[in-house]
Amino acid sequence: MSRKSGHPRRERMVVASNAVSVNLDSRRAMTAGMLAWFIPGAGHLWLGRRQKGVTFLLALPVMFGIGLLFEGRLFPFDLGQPLVLLAAFADLGNGLPYFLAKVAGLGEGRVIAESFEYGNTFTIVSGLLNMLVCLDAYDVALGRR
Amino acid sequence: MGSHLFAMMLFAALVSLVFSVLMKDQPREQLKLGGLLFAGFVGSGLVLGWILFFLPL
Repeated sequence: MSRKSGHPRRERMVVASNAVSVNLDSRRAMTAGMLAWFIPGAGHLWLGRRQKGVTFLLALPVMFGIGLLFEGRLFPFDLGQPLVLLAAFADLGNGLPYFLAKVAGLGEGRVIAESFEYGNTFTIVSGLLNMLVCLDAYDVALGRR
Repeated sequence: MGSHLFAMMLFAALVSLVFSVLMKDQPREQLKLGGLLFAGFVGSGLVLGWILFFLPL
């Protein structure tokens, strides 16, 4: 095909340039997604979506913190209990706040506390919401949104 | 914790906030969707709560 047009070298350069551009876009999108996971809202802030970024940066850690305040539990990665395992992955979705809570020894959970299930709901849902935020940051970086 | 209603409303407010900001770009649209989601969460919670109240569990 390139021989027919008479500009094989130029076409090769265009193809190479497009490949580099796609590679850069995908790397940028991965960075935005990972950043959004590690620090909720940071992916959007990095992409220049300040209003969204600040909202996520405040709302998601606050939601996670309320879950801990309500004596919710950060679930362990127990392969023997599939539902507990799923809850652990959801908790992990919180990124840095999750690791900070683990290091601080928070999230032990008190099963007999009145607010125990509320606490679990808050921590799990904030992690799941942050996963959605990661996907959104990925899409924004690729120009899909 | 305050009360169960307070916990539910707090949860509804935060989830509505995140969803509306995630799905809409304009502040006006975000406010509209957020309000709708919040009303839906709280309204359905109250309705389900009353239905459960009458069930002999």
